[in-house]
Amino acid sequence: MNKLIQSLLLLSVAYLFGCSTDKGTGEAITNKGKIGYSAMSLKNPFFVVISQSLTTAAQSEGYEVITMDADSDVKRQANQIENFISQGVAAIVLNPTDRLAIGPAIKQANEAGIPVFTCDLQCVADGIEIAGHIGTDNFQGGELAGQAMIETLGNEGGEILVLDFKQANSCVLRVQGFKQVIASHNEGREAGQITIVSEINGGGDESIGYRATVDSLQAHPNLRGIFAINDPSALGAWAATDEAQKAELIAIVGFDGALAGKQAIAQGKIYADPIQFPKKMGQVIMEKFVAFQAGEEYKQIELIPTSLYRQADAKSDPDLQLDQ
Amino acid sequence: MIDETDGLTEKTPAETGLTAEAPAETGLTAEVPAETGLTAEVPAETGLTAEAPIKKWSLKKQIVDHGMLLVLLLLCAAISALTVTDIHPEDPAAGRQLAKLALQEYGTQPNVLIVVRDTEADRAFAQAINDELIAGGGNVVGIASGTPRSAILQLTQTLAAGENVDVIATHHFASQWEVLSASRRAQVSDKPIKVISPPSYRWPSFLTKNNLLSILNQNAPIAIMAIGMTLVIITAGIDLSVGSLMALAAVVTAVSLRDYLGGVDANGGSVALAFGIGMLVCAVVGAVAGLLITVFKIPPFVATLGLMMVARGACYILAGGADAVKIDVPAISTLYDASVLGVSSQIILMVILFITAHVVMTHTPFGRYVYAVGGNVSAARLSGVPVMAVLITVYIVCGLCAGVAGVLDASHFLTGRPKAGEFYELQVIAAVVVGGTSLMGGEGKILGTLIGALILGVIQNGLNMAGVDSYRQMVIYGALILVAVVVDQLKKKVINPGVVSD
Repeated sequence: MNKLIQSLLLLSVAYLFGCSTDKGTGEAITNKGKIGYSAMSLKNPFFVVISQSLTTAAQSEGYEVITMDADSDVKRQANQIENFISQGVAAIVLNPTDRLAIGPAIKQANEAGIPVFTCDLQCVADGIEIAGHIGTDNFQGGELAGQAMIETLGNEGGEILVLDFKQANSCVLRVQGFKQVIASHNEGREAGQITIVSEINGGGDESIGYRATVDSLQAHPNLRGIFAINDPSALGAWAATDEAQKAELIAIVGFDGALAGKQAIAQGKIYADPIQFPKKMGQVIMEKFVAFQAGEEYKQIELIPTSLYRQADAKSDPDLQLDQ
Repeated sequence: MIDETDGLTEKTPAETGLTAEAPAETGLTAEVPAETGLTAEVPAETGLTAEAPIKKWSLKKQIVDHGMLLVLLLLCAAISALTVTDIHPEDPAAGRQLAKLALQEYGTQPNVLIVVRDTEADRAFAQAINDELIAGGGNVVGIASGTPRSAILQLTQTLAAGENVDVIATHHFASQWEVLSASRRAQVSDKPIKVISPPSYRWPSFLTKNNLLSILNQNAPIAIMAIGMTLVIITAGIDLSVGSLMALAAVVTAVSLRDYLGGVDANGGSVALAFGIGMLVCAVVGAVAGLLITVFKIPPFVATLGLMMVARGACYILAGGADAVKIDVPAISTLYDASVLGVSSQIILMVILFITAHVVMTHTPFGRYVYAVGGNVSAARLSGVPVMAVLITVYIVCGLCAGVAGVLDASHFLTGRPKAGEFYELQVIAAVVVGGTSLMGGEGKILGTLIGALILGVIQNGLNMAGVDSYRQMVIYGALILVAVVVDQLKKKVINPGVVSD
């Protein structure tokens, strides 16, 4: 029996070794140290892209990136940060899982003298030091979404629905930007006003977005447009309009520009997306870290503006060509 | 003492066939065998002391009894072997050693610039270098404490002021800064400047005091919740609501402080009261679970599944969304931040709770009742065990343990997080099962649960330390849980051949 325990352990140890030799490929060039990256959720392709671009950018600077999945759990992320500190990493990069609650963990890294870079969400806790932040300019993205909506509805205007997600601050900003553009469009206009008849929770999720849209179509049969704060809820909205045989009549504007969203734009399901640039985020974080190490001055907080992605862009998008 | 509970549980399956499978079938209580079952059970209460001295010490028995402890130690050894790496000391002792090195290698009067980060530990390190250098006749031209930028600024300023810098004394971390690279040094000074840092040594990064303490600290909430869960599982029940209850305690603490106990102006007493309210709410939910299970005869799985969702929903409602509720009271962090000799309050609390639970389960009638209810509920009832009270108490205790974890969480993150403890129920149950408690009930040890929780914690930490990526971690983590349980089953086969066959 004892032998059995031993052999099982040996087996697991052998497997561990198997894993550690895997990353040996990068180690030939890297020896400057390690960077710990705690991702919001590796189930979301957005953060996988950040992880990949960060890893590539770090490798060319001689650093190895350890990516950990926080799985949207603050406690898990705090543990990961603590482990990064124990491992003596050169820097910690994270997508805060909560704007407030991750504060004490960042403080711990501050006390250990390890620079912390945040990406995507910005931490708002008091008394912490962030060496650099990179995120999307969500307000500007919302403005672009508003412009896209005006563009597609033309001068006729009409009733529109907003699928929001108030739990996430980024999504609140998107709706604010959107509303501002719509309001200035309506100003001094007699005919062709664009009216937001309903603003409900789309959950940032396909099934919740679907249900919310089904209900709204009952309440507002004359809907002409829908703005959904991300691609999954936009796709849910499309499924509902399609089911009600109104897909041709209702224009949908999404947000993000993840692969599924881009594909939907190519197929004409979604009119347009303000797209984010996760690839750029990983690179910019690394640039900031290098500038930090070199003692240069750099922009500590940087928001990358989104750009509008329509069907024409999808036609010439190399990412989509590869897929077909 | 640990053997005593075994003595009880090993007997139960041996009594009759009905004991192992039929705790819910009340029809059996009327039968005569139950009466004999009762007589077999009662001596277990009194016969505990009578049986112990007869047992002989045997190696096989030791291995079987402490198998999980052995697994834990072997795991630690394996992970230590895997995480051997260069350790770069940064403590004052290393600072003194570095200063001596500088004096030896660069003459008696080297001009030294000390470069460190702006942290407490680093300042102590810099101070040690400084004192030792001055004592040995060296010349400290300055201490740059801060970022790479402040280091390079101070270096250029020092040089511009006409002072010589022969050596930069720093630690490994800062020696990797681009500003201290050879090319940058050549840019700012014509004369060569050396960068020195304390020599490194090889040692497992797993096996450092900080890391071991951090494993205990990180897993304390799960381990504390696992105490209550162990009792529940020994009664052949399950409690899926613990993760939600943990969040509920944290959110209730945060909201009651914000809205009812004075907000920003709340004092330590109010904070303690808020903690109490948070835990009380959890105890109440635990009592509701116990009532649903005993009075309404709802299976524990279903009853606690419902409460899990009710409690989670309540968290979101109270918090007004998924964002954490901020606690502005400074006193809130006292509980989590307190420590004795570098050991955090969380660990101390965990140890105290485990010792208490161990004593209760092995030395009190209540403990024996819990085993009796789990072993054979009918026999327990007939022998006068207050089954209903025992079950309700057990779920209250489980809720309370989740409440303790919840207030610790609030104190740690300075917020009430409605999303706290998601899926923790599974980790907690895993800790209990890996610790050797049978999901069939009637069997299990509190200290086994502690070891179970530590095994899971060590695996997770070891995988992180060895740099295994998240996806693989899930596979290994799951597989090791299975291995642990299989080993446990085999162990029973060894000590009790023939019994496990069902």
